[in-house]
Amino acid sequence: MNQVGSIGVIAALAFGLYAVIAGVLGGRLRSLRITKSAERATLAFFVMVTLAVAALEYLILTDSFGSAYVASHSNRALPFYYKLPVLWSGQEGSLLFWTWLLSIYSALVVLMNRRRNRQLMPYVISILMGTGVFFSSLVLFVANPFTEVAIAGAGGALKSFTPPDGNGLNPALQYPSMVIHPPMLYLGYVGMVVPFAFAMAALITRQLGDNWIRTTRRWTMVPWMFLGFGIVLGGNWAYEVLGWGGYWAWDPVENASLLPWLAGTAFLHSVMIQEKRGMLKVWNIVLVIATFFLSIFGTFLTRSGIVSSVHAFAQSNIGPFFAVFLGIIVLFSVTLLFLRLDFLKSENQLDSVVSRESGFLFNNWVLLAAVFAVLWGTIFPIISKAIENQTVTVGAPFFNRFMIPIGLVLLFLTGAGPLLAWRKTSFQSIRQNFTIPLAAAVVATAVLYALRVRGFYVSMTVLLTAFVAVATIGEFYKGARTRQQTLHENFAQAVFNLTMRNTRRYGGYVIHLAIVILFVGFLGQAFKSETKGLMAEGDLMHVKDYTLRCESFGTGDTPNYEYERASLSVIRDGRALGLMEPEQRFYTASQQATSHVAIRTSPREDLYVVLAGQDPDSKKAIIQVFINPLVMWVWVGGVVFVLGTLLALVPSRVEREMAELRRQHEEALEIQNLDAEG
Amino acid sequence: MLTALAFALALGLAFFVVKPLLAAGTDEGTLPVDVTLETDLKRRRLVVYDNIQDLEFEYRARKIAPQDYQTLRETYTTEAAHLISESHEVDRQSTEEAFIEREVAARRVRRKAEVVPDYTCPKCGFENPLPVKFCGECGAKLGVRD
Repeated sequence: MNQVGSIGVIAALAFGLYAVIAGVLGGRLRSLRITKSAERATLAFFVMVTLAVAALEYLILTDSFGSAYVASHSNRALPFYYKLPVLWSGQEGSLLFWTWLLSIYSALVVLMNRRRNRQLMPYVISILMGTGVFFSSLVLFVANPFTEVAIAGAGGALKSFTPPDGNGLNPALQYPSMVIHPPMLYLGYVGMVVPFAFAMAALITRQLGDNWIRTTRRWTMVPWMFLGFGIVLGGNWAYEVLGWGGYWAWDPVENASLLPWLAGTAFLHSVMIQEKRGMLKVWNIVLVIATFFLSIFGTFLTRSGIVSSVHAFAQSNIGPFFAVFLGIIVLFSVTLLFLRLDFLKSENQLDSVVSRESGFLFNNWVLLAAVFAVLWGTIFPIISKAIENQTVTVGAPFFNRFMIPIGLVLLFLTGAGPLLAWRKTSFQSIRQNFTIPLAAAVVATAVLYALRVRGFYVSMTVLLTAFVAVATIGEFYKGARTRQQTLHENFAQAVFNLTMRNTRRYGGYVIHLAIVILFVGFLGQAFKSETKGLMAEGDLMHVKDYTLRCESFGTGDTPNYEYERASLSVIRDGRALGLMEPEQRFYTASQQATSHVAIRTSPREDLYVVLAGQDPDSKKAIIQVFINPLVMWVWVGGVVFVLGTLLALVPSRVEREMAELRRQHEEALEIQNLDAEG
Repeated sequence: MLTALAFALALGLAFFVVKPLLAAGTDEGTLPVDVTLETDLKRRRLVVYDNIQDLEFEYRARKIAPQDYQTLRETYTTEAAHLISESHEVDRQSTEEAFIEREVAARRVRRKAEVVPDYTCPKCGFENPLPVKFCGECGAKLGVRD
């Protein structure tokens, strides 16, 4: 089966190379026939990478420990549902997985553009497959998952060997959200290649109207959604597995996923200005380049192990290859951009500083400031190592100092932006739109003070969440009321029709509400508390208004791991809330320990209990209890974010009209072609 | 066995990939244009109409003050008027171009259909300038061809 996988990768690499060359030739010669051949090579690339992935999954699922990859990352006792993620748990497999996702996106791009963007497609294929060639070369030459376990035999010659069992999967990865978190992030990272490919094709062909922008909007939103959801799932994993009571630690790999998401957010906002006003054309290209660059940079940080992180399961020698590839991306795209600057002139000027456009522009600057702050903090250890030969790690305080104010400014813009009119907004309009949200913000802050809650950032967060929530809900309310008055619909009908008329805008507002909900969740961090104690059977621990009673503390085992478990019954206000059972697990195959946290979630707060081990002197359980207020709202925010993005992906009335126009154009083209052939 | 099948699959795909290049006929199609001036203008007009509709809606929802509404409406209307006149100009040009092309095509057809008598001598190859029954050069009898 190793041979089948190797044939898959070698053939994929060959098809990828062919597609790159055929794409360029097809574009240069404007040849339909060569372009068709390049498209078919892209589909062939997908089939062959799929074959390689199927071969590796087969090896994993059949416990073929003769395969070096399976022997290093799996074991017999590993449950079936944790065997699937073995594919992306190691360096070699994850690069193959990356290549496979790229092949899926590429095949979809080819299939969905058989009749449109015909002049762009040859170059789009070349760029997609250029990336494919890079990754399949890495899989084939640097991190090949299809090698066999070999031991030195008589005379020092190597011979293949099948160990009886494997080393097992990293225990930190044996968790449900870990099954979907990496694929989500990867779908996000990989997908950003599509808008990049279209932008570069538009630059090459000089078709720099907003055609490429309209084509890539959905191709950007989908990976952006996956990336955002992947980040939240990663937070959920860190919260429930790492056992330190938090969900975000500004870890380099966490930051790596946040960077392209921030740049992508800036892009999704600024494209609206180009579509509506024909402005910011250069800026949009720069943002697409930055988003793609940061996606590859994120993959590089995750896979190279260049900076230490909780994701330290990937340490390798692929760093230099990525550095070269990143260099090529920058050189190629920036040169192309400079060569085409004359074609990117703005069609309009900014009419006023107080307008929707300037709101978007400001939002872009702040998002870019966030990107720089996070990027600086993330690569600082590498820079300090290079300059002073000493690794200086930048911790959470650095990030919080910059990112909390930046986050609050962004939160304000989330609410204020939609209240501004396009082109220019007079003071009277501002007064009309801002009065009620500002009043809500003042009331919320007053309530906070009445409750004796102090602190600048806490007050600002409450003030701004109230402002944005009221402003955003107000958009739905005002729109629905207007429909009621003019079209005599009932309120629910009016909200529904309003949303469906412009799904992009109202889907966007739902995403804004998700951001508000996320900030409510973040707010809880200011009020978290932690208690630690030793407990034996019958011992009580009082934490805030909870009482924990230790019912038992013992050990046990399963085929996959051994465990220590504390059973604690929880009582609040004299009412039994149930049993919580935190564990310490020791995985037999990998010889690694991990904690299994017990969490009781409610909208108000989480009771988060960790079994930190056994006290060597008293033999009692070391119990750590965190009270984490409002954490549930972070996960709720993540789900609302996905729903809002899905809503924004539904074609709205205006888009349907545009699609009809495009269909007519395509039909006319087909008639022309038939005439030419006839 | 599986290795042979994987190899066969790769070969089959290679044939699938090069097949368009091997297709019979030498008349190779070119890639069609994605955006014409006409469709681009239509699309831009749709964007302005949408902006006007949005403006009307936001005004009715009291999101925009009357003075802003007036100014913006004027701007959008002017923009739409420009786009409409540009579209008309393109339509006019394309109508004229289409007319010329039709005329040229019709003439070509007529020309093909017209009988052009040939007075070239089949014996000596002399092209007789006038309609004659005998060659002016060698005197051979001309069988006039259509």
